[in-house]
Amino acid sequence: MRVLTRGRRVVVAVISAAALVGVAACSDDGDEPGEDADITLVIDIFGEQGFGYDELYAQFETDHPNITIEERGGGLGLGDYNERLVQQITAGAGAGDVVALEEGTIVQFYAQTDRFVNLADHGASDLQGNFLPWKWEQGAPGGFVLGLGTDVGSMALCYRNDVLEAAGLPTDRAELAGMWPTWEDFIAVGEQFVAAGIEQKFVDAATNFYNTVLMQVAGNGTGYTYYDIENNLALDNPDIRTAWDLTIRMIEADLSANLNSFSDEWNAGFQSGSFATIGCPAWMTGVISGAAGDDNAGNWNLTDAPGEGGNWGGSFLAVTAESEHPAEAAELVTFLTGPDGQTAAFEALGNLPSSPQALAGPEVQQASNAYFSDAPTGQIFGAGAADFQPVYLGPQNNAVRTEFENALRSVEQGERTPDQAWQDAQDNAAAIG
Amino acid sequence: MAAVDVKSPAVPWRVRLARLDRMGSPYLYVAPFFILFAVFGLYPLGYTGALALTDQSPLDPQTSFVGLDNFATLAGDPKFWTAVRNTLGMFVLATVPQLLLALALANWLNRALRGIGLFRIAVAIPIVTSTAVVALVFGMFFARDYGLVNWVLEGVGIGGIDWRAERYAAWVAIASMVDWRWTGYNALIYLAAMQAIPRNLYEVAEIDGASRTRQFWQITVPLLQPTIIFTVIISTIGGMQLFVEPLLFTSGAGALSGGTLGQFQTVTMYLVQTMRAYHQWGYAAAIALLLFGLIVLVSAVNFLLVRRIRGER
Amino acid sequence: MTAAPAAPARVRRGGPLAAAGLVAAAVLSFFPLYWMVVVASRTNDVVYRWPPAFLPGGNLGENVRRVLANQDAAILKGIANSFLVAGTITVSTVFFGALAGFAFAKLRFRGRHALLLSILLTMMVPIQLGILPLYIMMIKFGWLNDIKAVIAPFLISGFGIFLMRQYTLQAIPDELIEAGRVDGCSTWRVFWHIVLPGLRPAAGVLGLLTFMQHWNEFFWPFIVLADPGNPTVQISLHTLNSAYHQDLSQIFAGMVIATVPLIVIFILFFRQIISGIMEGALKQ
Repeated sequence: MRVLTRGRRVVVAVISAAALVGVAACSDDGDEPGEDADITLVIDIFGEQGFGYDELYAQFETDHPNITIEERGGGLGLGDYNERLVQQITAGAGAGDVVALEEGTIVQFYAQTDRFVNLADHGASDLQGNFLPWKWEQGAPGGFVLGLGTDVGSMALCYRNDVLEAAGLPTDRAELAGMWPTWEDFIAVGEQFVAAGIEQKFVDAATNFYNTVLMQVAGNGTGYTYYDIENNLALDNPDIRTAWDLTIRMIEADLSANLNSFSDEWNAGFQSGSFATIGCPAWMTGVISGAAGDDNAGNWNLTDAPGEGGNWGGSFLAVTAESEHPAEAAELVTFLTGPDGQTAAFEALGNLPSSPQALAGPEVQQASNAYFSDAPTGQIFGAGAADFQPVYLGPQNNAVRTEFENALRSVEQGERTPDQAWQDAQDNAAAIG
Repeated sequence: MAAVDVKSPAVPWRVRLARLDRMGSPYLYVAPFFILFAVFGLYPLGYTGALALTDQSPLDPQTSFVGLDNFATLAGDPKFWTAVRNTLGMFVLATVPQLLLALALANWLNRALRGIGLFRIAVAIPIVTSTAVVALVFGMFFARDYGLVNWVLEGVGIGGIDWRAERYAAWVAIASMVDWRWTGYNALIYLAAMQAIPRNLYEVAEIDGASRTRQFWQITVPLLQPTIIFTVIISTIGGMQLFVEPLLFTSGAGALSGGTLGQFQTVTMYLVQTMRAYHQWGYAAAIALLLFGLIVLVSAVNFLLVRRIRGER
Repeated sequence: MTAAPAAPARVRRGGPLAAAGLVAAAVLSFFPLYWMVVVASRTNDVVYRWPPAFLPGGNLGENVRRVLANQDAAILKGIANSFLVAGTITVSTVFFGALAGFAFAKLRFRGRHALLLSILLTMMVPIQLGILPLYIMMIKFGWLNDIKAVIAPFLISGFGIFLMRQYTLQAIPDELIEAGRVDGCSTWRVFWHIVLPGLRPAAGVLGLLTFMQHWNEFFWPFIVLADPGNPTVQISLHTLNSAYHQDLSQIFAGMVIATVPLIVIFILFFRQIISGIMEGALKQ
């Protein structure tokens, strides 16, 4: 018994000592909210080029000498990033202080707002005027300010000057835009392209075409895609069918190079020019210049997309509830998503601001992109961004979208008829629920 | 730590200690494995069983008990059965030629030949290459537009193949990755077993006038049977868990889907997709349990099959 | 090991078929690795070169420099982590394998047959089976993204115990152990001073195979290492390959880097590795 008691005492002593050491270590880490405590803020983002924040981090760190910013996730694809993020948020462990939420995935977290900091508690309510109204709404479900908007995915059409020229088509921006006011017209231009009999294809892949069209049509139609705003699966949404049918027509006109998005052959296609056009949300310009490389500067160009304006993609920054420095993290979010921050990110990477002030500013309005044959990117992308209708994307949007993309690709591959593929997409999407 | 209770002074403590050492040490030495297995093997196993009876999802804070619903859904889930079919198909396509090739290779390696040591090194080298590297290299070999294999096929007049679109083409491509990495390994295992066969058996056969081929099938193969069973079981466990090769076979988006129609989605890929992309944890747990059942079942069938083949000869 | 198997009276000479088959097998074995170096040493236009490139280019150094500088893939961190992971697991697997193998081979205790059988059965249980609970456990331990999560479940292997048991049975005569006992050695001292030194060859083989296996492990790190900034080397390759913009020559340069350590180990120890593979079979 005495041995046991002594043993227990030793245990208690060891634990207390460990606790003391722990406390000491914590205060070294800057856990105490004192002014001078050193803090590291971890921010999780995705995408090949990240969000274009490097200079902004440096500035923030200069203004807050006790804060170090560590960015994770650069180079990570959205799919991988999101899968991990959902698990980390659910677990309440592993996510950064600040996390990027893409518009297609933010809805997943509407039901878990308790895992996030309400940015309204850190003064975000006053910032509403800094964001396009629909962007603000997406980030603030039911008044809980979950995330502040970064960029929007306003759409244009990117094309290769040299490839269109080889097919005997014009390369002038205004002239091309005039030739394709609607997607039907666009397909007709594609048919002219095919008639020229060159080995390149008119568009890169059915999937990008489909997503571009769907987001446009839904924005001007029902306002949602695979899920209605009550989060019920809405696979009978006529907008889906419209986009699907247009895509099938495009495939049957032999316009598609049949490449898998983000595959190495797709990437190589930007460089070698194996296709002439691609639907181009603002963030895609960074993907193209990265993949096509410096040798192709001036070969690419961009102009207005067919159809009415619309949005595909764009993100938010949120602060996780697990963050030990919510106030500082919220301050960083406010800084990065402020009009100046968004302008800087636009200049760094081309991501179109979601702030009306930034959109109206000269940096954006007068911006042109040398890589894309000096196209006035600010004007082309910025036009109408304020008037977009938001498209509501349900909780499992990405998983369902993948099923539709797979189905369309199976038609491209000649493995399925359009009707069979439509049925596949319906069945598989329904199983995800 | 052992000298806790020293009560009866009749036996000197050294003797008691030695007895304790003799009695207790073996258990102490084997205990670490069982402790580790309990924590990282057995407990997760039970937990998986419990999880499979719920509809747990990280997207939904509410979890409810659903009984055997997940298994009922699974029974009618075409994606699951496609995955089972793919897994079995690729397993057969990979294992049968692999083991036959390995037998032939072992037979050749068992000869006196200049530089035989170098050949043994050569066939072992794929083993040091990681599956990820194998998958990425072979993924380029089997590229649709600019791949090496299609270049060869077009050279001999057969058109190029879209290896990721056609089910059986994809199976062949993925099976070839598995074969490249494991054929040499199995050949070395067979070689070791062949070297243990007494020479005089062959000498007797030769006197009887049996041809080389006959000797191979009637002496070598039957005596190798336990070894063959061993390699078949090892291949089965690996083959049923096939994941990295088909995952990395897709370049770009949607890798877990294993092709547009799930042409090459294996059970493990479907498990991970259900867990990570669909966020259906309860359902994923049910898939995990059936995967285990599949491994046990196929191992048992293979075991019986290989034994039977020998019995008929 | 002590007694050679049936004396090979004479080994057959190989004919031209055997020679041709072996040459073909050797070429096929080397070609993918050669091709990896080819792609790693060229520029990205290899992706759409027709006919495909067969000769190395001059860009290997440049591509290696680029992949090392790629912060997102963190390949240097990945290599360091992989050494840590594979090294720790190797030492632990060999030590506990020898310890338990010795117990099963040379010590008499109640239930040892059942225990050994149960170890063999555990080898059938795939990690996929417990993947979700393991994942949830790692979250609760706070080990998500932590290299500990990749090490802990694999510290002791049933295969290692079995291999060491078989070797101990053959290589360590009972008399040696009895002699130690008579001298008054405790079981631990018998193991440490008498048995373990005798197991050196088998320990080397088990260590090499274990190191290779865990250097190359993909599935579990893929699940549990969510932060690309703290990867193993195989996960670095996956990060490179799943980037938005695929830089193929850079990916292949990364593959060369990931393969070189094992090639070096193979060149140094191919004898042990090959005999290890062969031993594993003889002793099933």
